[in-house]
Order: sequence, then C-alpha cells, then structure tokens
Amino acid sequence: MRIEAAIPGAHAEVEDYTGGGDHFRATVTAAAFEGRSRIEQHRLVYEVFGAEIGGAIHALALKTQIPAHLPAH
Amino acid sequence: MSANQFDEIPMLQPQPSPEPAPVSAPGEGNAIREAIAEAIDQHEVILFMKGTPEAPACGFSARTVAVLQSMEVPFAAVDILPDPRIRQELSAISNWPTVPQLFVKGELVGGCDIVCEMYESGELAQTLL
Repeated sequence: MRIEAAIPGAHAEVEDYTGGGDHFRATVTAAAFEGRSRIEQHRLVYEVFGAEIGGAIHALALKTQIPAHLPAH
Repeated sequence: MSANQFDEIPMLQPQPSPEPAPVSAPGEGNAIREAIAEAIDQHEVILFMKGTPEAPACGFSARTVAVLQSMEVPFAAVDILPDPRIRQELSAISNWPTVPQLFVKGELVGGCDIVCEMYESGELAQTLL
C-alpha cells in the first residue's frame, strides 16, 4: 500500500468504506510518528497523496498511532 | 443550546462582482488569504466548514459542529463552499488539505478526526477552556 511504501516502517490498515474507491478510512501505525504532534502525524500521511486529497480521494478518515512497544511520548 | 452560537463572517461571503474575476490571476488570492488570516486572528475559536452549523453540507463538518456545540463553546464558522478560492487559500495558510479545519487561538487544532479524538480523550476541553 502506498502509505507503507512512503513512510518507513509504517503499518496501514485501509478500508474503502463506500466501495467507491474515493472514501477511505485508515489507521496508520508508524515509529516515524514518535515525537510529532497529531497534526504533524496526519500531515505525513496526507503528503503521501498530495493533491489527490480533495481531488480523486474525497475523504480520508485518519487515525495515527505510535507502535505499542515505543513510549507514547 | 441556541442556534446562534456562531458569528457570521460577512467579509468571507461572496460579493457580487461587477466584472468577472479571473480564477487564478497572480495576486488574486491575496485579498481572500488576508481575510482568512484576519478571521483566524480575530476569533478565538473558528471553524472552516462545508455548509453552515445549521445546515452542514458534509458529514465530517457536521460531526465537528456537533462536538463544538456539545461543549457549549461559542465559535465562529466560515462556509468554504461559496468560492473555491476560500478553500485553496485556507489550505495554503494551514498546510492542511481537508475541510473542516478548527483553529483555536490562531492555531490549527485539526480536522474532524483529530477534533473527535481530542473530544473523546478530554484534550479538546483543555484546549478550548
């Protein structure tokens, strides 16, 4: 998946929740999120898709997590 | 609570223009960008959304409004739909591609996902109160 390819070590679970290929829900777990605010974590994921967000991708509901074996902050 | 928890922001309402405005002439966005920046500055809590708090035009905007209303915090709301340049300029300012966008004290807090997550964790109350 593109998120996993773009963010090293990321694990992404993506669901096309309308089946139409343009509304997605994703939970992304990545060590790269460590030390970043939620805003910055989401920006990292949005950057993978650039202008497609709001274009071909109408909605990307996002939840970002740091892997459990790392401290939360 | 009352339906009037938000202020209208007339400067961002589309004004009838005497001549057709080119969509992307250089400098064209500056007036809109400045109006947005000013609105963010002047309102402690401001939500850029699709539609209005009474008639949200998108489920994500509706959920964000519902969260804010449940916290009984007054907020300003700007409908980005009347002019595509509002969204363009907003995203340029905030470096955030999607709408809704909630700003508190001049800072981007996030969109629907982050606002809802922060609501559930109690962080939103700390940010707003």
